[in-house]
Amino acid sequence: MENAAPATPAEDAAPARGGPVWRFLIQPRWVGWHLLMVVSFWGMLWLGDWQFHRAISGNGLSWAYTFEWPLFACFAVVFWAKTIKDEFRIKRGLVPGTAESAPGLDDLPVTVRAVQASTAPPEEDEDEELSAYNAYLARLNAEVKHHGRWHGWRS
Amino acid sequence: MKAAVLRYRVMAYITGVVLIVLCFVGIPLQVAGHPAVANDVGVLHGILYIIYLVCAWILSRKLALATKPTVIMLLAGTIPIMTFIVERWVTRRFINPALAAQPQPAQPVRP
Repeated sequence: MENAAPATPAEDAAPARGGPVWRFLIQPRWVGWHLLMVVSFWGMLWLGDWQFHRAISGNGLSWAYTFEWPLFACFAVVFWAKTIKDEFRIKRGLVPGTAESAPGLDDLPVTVRAVQASTAPPEEDEDEELSAYNAYLARLNAEVKHHGRWHGWRS
Repeated sequence: MKAAVLRYRVMAYITGVVLIVLCFVGIPLQVAGHPAVANDVGVLHGILYIIYLVCAWILSRKLALATKPTVIMLLAGTIPIMTFIVERWVTRRFINPALAAQPQPAQPVRP
């Protein structure tokens, strides 16, 4: 598969370290997420089915859950799809963000912005306290870099 | 952003309170033979949890959270007391930094 298909323009635009962008989807961690997705999706549908059978055998309360569980299952699928889509955008270097939000507002984790700020050439009138704080944030970011995802930020 | 935070907080607290009522009032009463509270509050929590999911999801997108904190946020609405803990954690860890990093409004705010 590596050399088979010609890369799409989007893949050309993003020279990832090793191969096409979608490759991250088969990393063990992502495969784990996929499996969790599949199990929870079918599990929730099964629970909905179970509640449906309870409902038609006279438990009126189960009607609410009959519709709720499939809704949760759909939500899980949406969550999964959106996460993958966002990951693609990040991997391709496109800045994630919505049109209605101000530019640069919600795009980057604050630590990334701080690192960018601290690695930028220092301006003459830059506040000393601010640069110290930025350096502190950059240090923090470096410390958690390798387990960043588990601490919340995309590494 | 601030609206999303507010929506998430409101839903986290409402869902959390209803879930506590369900677990610490409804379930004991149900065990004692009065299932009415558990039934009604259970359905109410189900409906509120759907709204909570949507609010938490929107906020997690705005904060560009990774998968794990997002999942924790979403599932917190199903565990008693967890919504409060997770709300505090998310505030300290993600919301406050994100808000602090926002560009200042055009008009300088006088202290």
